[in-house]
Amino acid sequence: MSKKNIKGRLKQVLIPTSLFFLIIIVWELVISIIHYPEYLLPRPSVIFNELVINFDSLLYHTGITLLEAVIGFVIANILAFIIAVVFAHSKTIKTGLHPFVIALQTTPIIAMAPLLVLWFGTDIGSKIAAAALVSFFPTIVNGVKGLKSVDDEALDLFKSLSATKWQIFTKLKFPNALPYFFSALKTSATLSVIGAIVGEFVGANKGIGYVILVSTYHLQTVKMFTGIIMAAVAGMIFFWLVAMIEKKIVFWQKS
Amino acid sequence: MGPIISVRNIEKHYDNLNVLKKISFDIEEGEFVSILGPSGCGKTTLLKILGGLIQPSRGTLVIKGGSVKIARERREFGFVFQKPVLLPWRTVLENTRLPLEILGRSDAPEMPANLLKLVGLERFGNFYPNELSGGMQQRVAIARALSFEPSILLMDEPFGALDEVTRDRLNLELLRIWKKEKSTISSILFITHSVPESVFMSDKVIVLSDRPGSVQQIVDIDLPRPRTTKMKYSKKYLELVQCLRKTLKED
Repeated sequence: MSKKNIKGRLKQVLIPTSLFFLIIIVWELVISIIHYPEYLLPRPSVIFNELVINFDSLLYHTGITLLEAVIGFVIANILAFIIAVVFAHSKTIKTGLHPFVIALQTTPIIAMAPLLVLWFGTDIGSKIAAAALVSFFPTIVNGVKGLKSVDDEALDLFKSLSATKWQIFTKLKFPNALPYFFSALKTSATLSVIGAIVGEFVGANKGIGYVILVSTYHLQTVKMFTGIIMAAVAGMIFFWLVAMIEKKIVFWQKS
Repeated sequence: MGPIISVRNIEKHYDNLNVLKKISFDIEEGEFVSILGPSGCGKTTLLKILGGLIQPSRGTLVIKGGSVKIARERREFGFVFQKPVLLPWRTVLENTRLPLEILGRSDAPEMPANLLKLVGLERFGNFYPNELSGGMQQRVAIARALSFEPSILLMDEPFGALDEVTRDRLNLELLRIWKKEKSTISSILFITHSVPESVFMSDKVIVLSDRPGSVQQIVDIDLPRPRTTKMKYSKKYLELVQCLRKTLKED
């Protein structure tokens, strides 16, 4: 890496980080000076303190939420992949089912969450279902697009060799669709965390959504903030994980 | 022995659009034939019909005494397209090996590497396509087309997207590969819209008219082989280029 490049990267990290600390400091000072009530907006130092003291418990709840999100994500995406393959190969099936897929997608997950709790119980089952439901669609939509985006000349090349349908799928269509799939997986990774938390809001006794909800009932704003921070971190970790796998698998795609 | 490819009254239309009209010509064993015509005259469609990728609406097509289907099943055709169409997730060597994989042939494991050597890319086998220049990518496409030892090479403006210097170099190289001692390629059908290229490469140039494409003229190119860059300054060459330019303009 050249000197200029390192300098550029450093700048990219340095500027947002300094801005972050600047905001924290201003926030801390303003609240201290005007004595703003803590139950509305606590000081960053207080939030940080709470985060450290309660870290074990927070980590447990975050872990639960991530577990729900990941299981939902995996189930949804395996299903979505199969459906995308079917849709890409059969116009009739796609025409028949597509309106239902759209209808399901446009129904807000928050409206369906109580039903899911009714069906799958207050344990993690209903959260997995909620996570699965929201992370399902990007993969179907993008997957079909990716499987169909094959270059005509590449298809001619395979046809000129009398390649079988299976060969065309495994050697051309599937690898060609991988960049599309991964861009969908990144979206659905963050969505699945949202789905799991929404599920927890409706009825749960663990998970980061539960922590946030309970702290609202007791006006524990500080605890609520720690929950929000952990939720954000969980979403970021999952996204980053998928992005790392993408970099390894879709290595030919220039970002 | 009769012609290797015999085309009689081939026509192609899509709904109301006439693409090809009454195309007839022969390609002999060992001949290099160019199809020259303005863009949109149906050159590519004609090539795809010859390779069995598209069905003609009318007319007959005999390849090595049999149908196109039989010829395709016997792997008589190697295709080279306008774009190199290399698979970006495969290395250069893996791309060259693709046809053998599809055909399930494991009898010639050293073939892809030898072909890369033939096109001057032996050091690039482990590179990925996006690490190569356009000219190098098209060389890989040629190596790939040769990998299963077809007897007829169908080329659709293979060097059309390249700069002139690279194009001239690859033209010479293609002729060298074709005339090489162990070459399995008998005949080459070469589509181009460049008049000089068609003259330099071919034994015979088939000029197609504007849509619907029909055979306007068939010009024999009686320049000696092997062709050399020097010939491009010869009177004969320049005359032929001029003659073909005129034919194209008359359209």
